[in-house]
Amino acid sequence: MSRTAVSGSAMSEAVALDPGRLRGRPVRDAWRSFATAARLGWQMEANWTDPLLFFIYSVAKPVAAALILVVMIEVIGGSAGRGLRAFVVVGSALWSFVVSGMAGLAWSVLDDRERYRMLKYVYVSPSAFGIVLLGRGMARLAIGAMGAAITLAVGVAFLGVPLDLARVDWPLLAVAMPLGLVAIVALGAMLAAVCLQTRQESWSYPEAAAGALFLVVGAVFPLHVLPAMAQAAGLLTPLTWWLEGVRQALVPGSASAIGGDGSLWAELSGHATPGGIEITAALLATSALVTLVAATVFRLSERRAKDRGLIDRTSGS
Amino acid sequence: MNALVHRQTAGPREAARWNRGRILANNLRSVAGRAYPRIAGLAREPSWVFFEILLPFLTTSSFVFVYRALAAPPEYVGFVVLGGAMSAFWINVIWMMAAQLYWERDQGNLELYFAAPMDLMSVLFGMAIGGLVMSSTRGAVVLVIATLLYGVTFSVAQWALLLAVFVLTLAALYGLGMVLASLFLMWGREAWHLTQLLQEPVYFVSGLNFPVGRLGFLGAMAIATLPLAVGLDAMRQLAFAGSAVTLGTPTPEVEALILVAMTIVFLVAARFALRTLERLARREGRLVTRWR
Amino acid sequence: MTEAGPTPPAVETRGLERIYRIKPRPVTALAGVDVRVEPGEFFGLLGPNGAGKTTLIKILTTLLLPTSGSARVFGFDVVSETKQIRRIMNMVAGGEQSGYGILTTREQLWMFSQFYGLGTREGWRRVDELVELVGLTEQREQRVSTLSTGQRQKLNVARGLLNDPWILFLDEPTLGLDVGAARAVRELMTAWRAAVPGRTILLTTHYMAEADELCERIAIVDRGRILAIGTPAELKRRVQRESIFRLEVDRLAAGARALAPLPGVVSAVPASEADTGREAAGRGTVAITLVLRDDAALGGVVGALGELGARIVALRKSEPTLEDVFVELVGRGFEDEAEGDGARPPMPGAEPAAPGPSHTTHPHEPGEPSDEPLAT
Repeated sequence: MSRTAVSGSAMSEAVALDPGRLRGRPVRDAWRSFATAARLGWQMEANWTDPLLFFIYSVAKPVAAALILVVMIEVIGGSAGRGLRAFVVVGSALWSFVVSGMAGLAWSVLDDRERYRMLKYVYVSPSAFGIVLLGRGMARLAIGAMGAAITLAVGVAFLGVPLDLARVDWPLLAVAMPLGLVAIVALGAMLAAVCLQTRQESWSYPEAAAGALFLVVGAVFPLHVLPAMAQAAGLLTPLTWWLEGVRQALVPGSASAIGGDGSLWAELSGHATPGGIEITAALLATSALVTLVAATVFRLSERRAKDRGLIDRTSGS
Repeated sequence: MNALVHRQTAGPREAARWNRGRILANNLRSVAGRAYPRIAGLAREPSWVFFEILLPFLTTSSFVFVYRALAAPPEYVGFVVLGGAMSAFWINVIWMMAAQLYWERDQGNLELYFAAPMDLMSVLFGMAIGGLVMSSTRGAVVLVIATLLYGVTFSVAQWALLLAVFVLTLAALYGLGMVLASLFLMWGREAWHLTQLLQEPVYFVSGLNFPVGRLGFLGAMAIATLPLAVGLDAMRQLAFAGSAVTLGTPTPEVEALILVAMTIVFLVAARFALRTLERLARREGRLVTRWR
Repeated sequence: MTEAGPTPPAVETRGLERIYRIKPRPVTALAGVDVRVEPGEFFGLLGPNGAGKTTLIKILTTLLLPTSGSARVFGFDVVSETKQIRRIMNMVAGGEQSGYGILTTREQLWMFSQFYGLGTREGWRRVDELVELVGLTEQREQRVSTLSTGQRQKLNVARGLLNDPWILFLDEPTLGLDVGAARAVRELMTAWRAAVPGRTILLTTHYMAEADELCERIAIVDRGRILAIGTPAELKRRVQRESIFRLEVDRLAAGARALAPLPGVVSAVPASEADTGREAAGRGTVAITLVLRDDAALGGVVGALGELGARIVALRKSEPTLEDVFVELVGRGFEDEAEGDGARPPMPGAEPAAPGPSHTTHPHEPGEPSDEPLAT
């Protein structure tokens, strides 16, 4: 403050308490926090290079992930391979979206704590911590969505994915997408809770967690090849139902990852494959369960972090 | 001697005169010094056992089941298991080597490294050794458990060559990591994104889950440039001797020579890159300045 | 240079210049610095932020190349003989957050002991000695990430002494420390230097009283130039011939500078916070440091104040401080540079009555760790 004298009335005006600030405006404040964090996240993700390189970066990763599987199928060949190709391309494209979404939230914690050392300031601001993290993770989610869309386009153009917009089951897609998004964000929040506790070198944790889930969700092979326990784990994971729902919506009639001969689903339900309503109901139930678990884990992690002073530490090795 | 006076030297000029033995000892100790926090970190934050060993094992398992779904010949499962084990080293190289100097700068350590008498290469070696402890554990666990669980049968005729190829692969990989560490620091913020870009695309062209020879020209290019590709292919040929599916690439002996060449090139390049980095840092005055 | 003969200067720079090529226009951080520090000296560089102090330290510690001119540390050239310099020097900066949070205090120091060439066991012994010396015995097995600011700075000081340097560069070493911690650091530095003849300390600070208390000689730096060098007493004598008054008036709309053109007035600037400025601000009055050619000029000032509608609340004559020297040399106080940025508290550990020091934030000096990046 300059040394210029401030009159009494001006001073009282300047520091007058706005009761609205104290009470807060929950919806408006939350939206503002979210939008600001999302804008910041996007700038951090996107403004490091020119648009062309950014595009290559956003697309090379998911396309390469799909190509690994395509080549695996090609080297074996045979009719099983041909049938599986569209299945793995769609699954792999969607999975890149899952990985981005999960990593976005977790990396925000590591970024803001270890790199920018801003986590403590974010934490003590009136904005809800979870909302800010969610906003920060949105950019990566958007990049993941872009990568998934382009991988699908590559699949349709070059790898024989039979996507026909006229045949797409839009209602199923419209229901499955937001429910899946909630599940992905919830899983991301769980990973963010983990990263709040771990050391700086936890960057690879989200990918590791996503990689492990990859085994049980039927992204690139049907669940029936797994042992019954792993199949059961898959059926309890919302991502399994989300992938199934989106896959059936985009390519109606494609092979089911959940059902089929010898599958746990067929054994339990008596139907060969789940229908749209079953998929939606299971997705809704498992997403709700995961969201509940994620909220609890996040809260516990937050409390532990405060208890142990982890919010503003750096922990490199 | 006391806390204020530890080593009494005749004067500053004499104290600055170090013989070769002392320089070597300083650098060797610096390697150990820098490896120490990495190893201590492993013991203190045991969450890595879950995230760095168990979960990657499950990822590898996913690819095993892809081959099972395709009813592939058994050696393909072996390829995936070997690829899964070796991916641990690549992950370590890009996440804990390539991006590390960038981190050191942000934490304010880089200035102190530059101002200390040891060679910066020793710091990089220290990081590599510390990282190797973790990635070797992960690689070994993935290899052993997956082998037992999925019934992989190895057929090794040349154990010595297999061992040599493994060691050379690590040397070349970490040599590349050292080069990338300097380059990433010079490229600034792009480093962060490049780290991620070097994951799946490199897995793909290195043939992490399939014989790299099936990629044709792309595979040949990878064998000529990427230690992961050439090392993995040589190890597959040696670990699954007689398997026809690995044909189409150079013999393991030739690939071992490629790895030797890569190791030399990368270490020389790393030294050159570090010197360039130091020169730039001192000239521009920004490479050691923390960025937040 | 041959080894025989007398020890060369601890620091010697000639025409040292450093220009940062940054956008939108290049910044000259050092504009031809000539300085010579003798072995065994406690030498201070005093100046506001952006003066070029840290740039000079960075060049001397081999972290930065000069744009032109030369610099030598104990006769070793900073451009071509970096290894030799690194073997005999160390540095400690204030506000440093370096190291690995996952290590304990002892482990962190041991790691650095290895970088500085100590043997494994010798390193642990040395670490234990220093941990005790700096008063971190209780925190010896505590993780670095859990240390307080003061404890972290003690850790940095201990790191700086690990290799028994012949020259220690201290860059604002008491920045952010409380009274006790800052005093402990200063006492330790003094004792360390006195323990071996020839040990040299080069300190940068903008805490004037710190420089006054510690340094045998001081260079006053501003905008990349050395304006004066001498002992604190010599520097103060430069303004001794003039009369210095602390003046407090109830109001002065035109500001302190309104008095500068008056006959016999050498300079008139707002008093520093640590002097009478803070109390004046608390009382809603205006405090001014007035340098007059002689006491006789005071009458004119008093008359002018009356014409300006100001009433004198307090007036006292004072002994010159290093800030007065700075004001006379530069024509402005430390705080003028960043008017409106807010002021810093007085030097940590200073006696309450200590005259003179003032602190403020200034536009950034390229290369300072706490600054914005030059580029990323």
